[in-house]
Amino acid sequence: MASISTADAPTVQIRLSTRDASFPLPPDTQTNYQVPTSLRRVNLSQLVNNLIHTEQPVPFEFLVNGQKLRSSIEDWLTESAVSAETVLAVEYIRALVPPKKVRSF
Amino acid sequence: LTHLDPGLSAMTPETARALWLHHESSTHTLSQQLTEHLRLILAPTLATKLRGDFRTGKRLNLKRIIPYIASGYKRDKIWLRRSMPSKRSYQVMIALDDSKSMAESGASNLALKTLTLVTRSLSMLEVGEVSVVGFGDQVNVTHDFDKPFTSESGVRVFEQFGFESGKTDVRKLVDRSLDLFAEARRKGASSAGEDLWQLMLVVSDGICDSHADIQRLVRRAQEERVMIVFIIIDATATTTISDPSASQGTGTQQGSTAEKAKDKTSILDLQSVEITAEGKVVRWKYMERFPFRYYLVVRDVRELPGVLAGALRQCSNDLES
Ligand SMILES: [Mg+2]
Repeated sequence: MASISTADAPTVQIRLSTRDASFPLPPDTQTNYQVPTSLRRVNLSQLVNNLIHTEQPVPFEFLVNGQKLRSSIEDWLTESAVSAETVLAVEYIRALVPPKKVRSF
Repeated sequence: LTHLDPGLSAMTPETARALWLHHESSTHTLSQQLTEHLRLILAPTLATKLRGDFRTGKRLNLKRIIPYIASGYKRDKIWLRRSMPSKRSYQVMIALDDSKSMAESGASNLALKTLTLVTRSLSMLEVGEVSVVGFGDQVNVTHDFDKPFTSESGVRVFEQFGFESGKTDVRKLVDRSLDLFAEARRKGASSAGEDLWQLMLVVSDGICDSHADIQRLVRRAQEERVMIVFIIIDATATTTISDPSASQGTGTQQGSTAEKAKDKTSILDLQSVEITAEGKVVRWKYMERFPFRYYLVVRDVRELPGVLAGALRQCSNDLES
């Protein structure tokens, strides 16, 4: 996968928030972000980790305007009939990692 | 998704008229100020440079003295004269962002006010032709260069804005406007010997993508001697939409700073994000890579005459040098 940049791709503005007190956004990062609409959950997770400076990467799930993001932002916009002219409210929550399967011999 | 005709989805004629008249009267003093500024910048200065080489003149051209003596006083074109300024005419296009983000951020009202102020000033100056286009998904000419811009034109223009376009295609705007300028240059009212200047003023919240493409087009505009000045309406920092009583005066009072401090969604704080192939996150301030060379950020219409004049002065100096 090549890099995804706002320089030459369709974009949308997002406003991040969380209710999880263990991963708050530092005050100096509380602004709007212009992101490529092709971003998916994993990319947004990378962004949040970059903003909150975690020691270990923490996987996050995202609620866009209250609905869970299952694919790219672009798909979400199309499915929800929301235009990219709107600032999206994006809430992040820690992903519930499915319990690791114990290999049985 | 709806695909309404931009002309149909916009304001009713009554609303457009009431709003135009309101803006016209509330910005009256400001447009006079702007007119005075523009008169100084746009009118060709009477005292132009001294040029040589003449047999008689106003001042000696020092560079010619030694060759003059060396030639045994034969090369005697050693005087400078003041050359006549050429008459200048203008074609000014105002491009107003008709996209939805303008309405959502509360920039639309301030943008319409800016449009009123600028078109009024240019009409008062009578320096040339004025056109207005709307842009979003498409580029829509709402007032042509070949018609004079009156108050009635203002109302007609307002009628065509609804701020409902689902896209902000600035790349298309610059591309199309260069064609419109080329056409206007051919048909233009300027006579031979006149120096035609073409200027585009973009009035927008400044949010767009495809910056790399836009940069290339901005360079093309420069080559075609079309000046582009981008007026960014930064209304998100102050959420109040309009206060007619406050905009009437020419007071120096600044907008409520407490209000600005609370809300951090100004374009000056906006960050852009890139994610590399390796998953590395790169962030930068949106305005650091803004593709237009001449831009100004306006939060209050009262700031406009001063800052716009500043940008135009710089732009015109660069073009002349
Ligand atoms: Mg927009």
